[in-house]
Amino acid sequence: MRRRLPVLVGLMIFAAGAARAQTAPDQTEQIRILLERVQQLEKRVGELETKTIAAAVPTAEAAAPVPAAPKPEMAEAAPAPAPMHQHEQTESQATTRQLEARYPSLQIRGFGDVNFSTTDQRGVNSGFNLGQLDLHLASALSHKVTYFGELTFNAQPTGYTVEVERSIIRYDYNDFFKLSFGRYHTPIGYWNTAFHHGAWLQTTISRPEMIKFGGTFIPVHFLGVLAEGNIPSGGAGLSYNAGVGNGRGFPISRPGDAGDNNNNRAWVANLYSRPAKLYGLQMGVSVYRDKITLPVNPAGNEFREWISAAHIVWTKETPEFLAEFANVNHKNILTNAITNNQAYYVQMGYRLPWFEKTLKPYYRFEHTHTPLSEQLFTNQDLVQSIVGMRYDITNYASFKGEYRNFKRLPTAPRVNGAFFQTDFTF
Amino acid sequence: MNATYKRVVTFLWTILWASMALHSPSLAQTSHGTDVAVVVNSDTPVADLSLSEVRKVMLGERQYWSSKLPVVLLIRAPAARERDVVLRVIYQMSEAQFKQYWVAKIFRAEAASPPRIVYSNDMQYELLTALPGAIAFVDSRNIRPGVKVLRVDGRLPGEKDYPLR
Repeated sequence: MRRRLPVLVGLMIFAAGAARAQTAPDQTEQIRILLERVQQLEKRVGELETKTIAAAVPTAEAAAPVPAAPKPEMAEAAPAPAPMHQHEQTESQATTRQLEARYPSLQIRGFGDVNFSTTDQRGVNSGFNLGQLDLHLASALSHKVTYFGELTFNAQPTGYTVEVERSIIRYDYNDFFKLSFGRYHTPIGYWNTAFHHGAWLQTTISRPEMIKFGGTFIPVHFLGVLAEGNIPSGGAGLSYNAGVGNGRGFPISRPGDAGDNNNNRAWVANLYSRPAKLYGLQMGVSVYRDKITLPVNPAGNEFREWISAAHIVWTKETPEFLAEFANVNHKNILTNAITNNQAYYVQMGYRLPWFEKTLKPYYRFEHTHTPLSEQLFTNQDLVQSIVGMRYDITNYASFKGEYRNFKRLPTAPRVNGAFFQTDFTF
Repeated sequence: MNATYKRVVTFLWTILWASMALHSPSLAQTSHGTDVAVVVNSDTPVADLSLSEVRKVMLGERQYWSSKLPVVLLIRAPAARERDVVLRVIYQMSEAQFKQYWVAKIFRAEAASPPRIVYSNDMQYELLTALPGAIAFVDSRNIRPGVKVLRVDGRLPGEKDYPLR
C-alpha cells in the first residue's frame, strides 16, 4: 500500500501533465476559433436585433437627419465604408435612438439576503432570519440631474417596517462640483458609503460593528446638503465630500428626518485619494462635527461631538484589504467632561484563482472601546475575529459562511458562533 | 515511510504551483490580434489621454469632458476582443467583477447607468457619430472616418508600446 500510493500519485500527475501538454496549444487555437465564431454570431445577432427594432419604428421617424459628416482631423486610417442602403440607415438610426438617453429613465435594482446563525451565547436562539429586502432606484432626470432612492423592508417580530434609507437629488455642474440634497449615508470613512444596504456587495455577511445599521457609534445617515467632486490634483486623484445637515436626532441613531432637534447644524468633510499609479488603492480622512441635544438630563443634555476617521483600502480582490479607524469625541457642554471612544477594523480577503474565481476566503478583526466615563453611548466594547468564505454562485448571488469569536465586556465570556448567508441582487 | 511522504508532498506542491502558474495572467492570457483604438465622437475636446486617464473615464470617475459635455461610455458585448482588452488592460477585472463594479457604482449613487452595450462595429460607429461625448474601443483595423482616434500615453495604435493590445 505504501509503495502504491506514490506510484498512483505519480501516474495521476503524469497523466494530467501529459493531457495538459497535449491539449494546451490545441485548446488555445480552438478557443481563438470559437471566439471569432462567437464574434461573428454576435454581429449577426446585433444585425437581426437592429432589424427587429427598425420594424417597430414608424416611417416618419426614419426620415431623421443622418449623423454629421466627418471632420478633416478625423481618422483616415481606413477607407470609408460603402454607402448604406436606405433600410440600413433606418435600422442604424433606430438603434441609435434606442440607446440615446431618455428622461426620466428609472432603473430599479433589488438586494436581499437570508441568514442562519447559531452561537454558544446563553439566551440566544439559533435559527433563520430574513435580512433586509432593499430596493434601489436611480433615475436620470436630465444629463445633469439624477435622483437616487433606497427603500428597505425589515423583518420585525410583529411584521415589517419600511425605511427610506436614502433619497437624494443631485445636480452635476461638472466633475469638480456636484451638489445634492436629501438623506445620505454619511461620508465618514469607507464602508458606510461603499456598500450601503446590499449584503451581496460586501465580502462578509455583516458590516463592522462601528458602522452597523441601527448602531450609534457613527451616525450612519445624514440629512442635508452635500457637495462632492474631484479635486484637480494630477496623479494624486483627490476627491472630496462636504456637507451640512441636521446631525443626530433622538434617539441618536437617527438623523432627524422630520426636523432637527436643535438649532445647530452638523457638518461633515471627507477627503480621499485614489492615486493613478496605484490603481485599487484608496485612502482618506473624514471629520464630522455636531451638537447633540438629548431630552432633559440633570447631568447636562447637550454635547459637542467630533468624529475623526481615516481609512486605507485596496479594492482589488487579489488581495482585498480594508482598514478603518474612527475616534468619537464627546464633550458635555455643562460639565466640560470629555470622553473619547475608538473603533477600528482590519479586513483581508483573497479571490482564489481556482474554480473560476468563485471562492474568496476572508478574515476581519475589529475592536471597539468606549470608556466607563462615556455619557452618551451605552457600552459598545467589542473584540471580534471573523473568518469566513464567500462563494459566488453566479455573477449576482453568493453563499457566505463565517465563524465568529467575540467578547463584549471584560467580564463577559467569549462567544463562538457560526453564521451563514445567501445574498443576491436582482 | 518519511521519504515516501516527502515525495508525495513534493508532488502535491508541484501540482499546486503548476496550476497557479497556469492560472496566472502572464501565461494564461496571450495577446493575439491588433491594437485596440480609443475613439471618441469628433466633437469631443480631447486628443491625448494617459492610460490612467482612460481608466478614470471608463471607471466613471471622470464623467464630463467639459461642463456641458458628459462622457457617454460604450462597450462591446461579451466575447468581443475589444471588450476583453478593455477589461484586461483598463479595468483589470474579470467579467463578473466588471458587472459587480457597475452595480455597486450605481448603488453608491456615483453613476446613473452603466456603459451602454453595443453589439457590432456598425452600431458602435452609429452611436459614436450620433452621441456627443461618446467614447468606444475599436479594433484598429476597423477604424473609419467620422470619429477621432485618441493617443494613449502619447501613442497611436500601431506605434511601439501602445498599451491597448
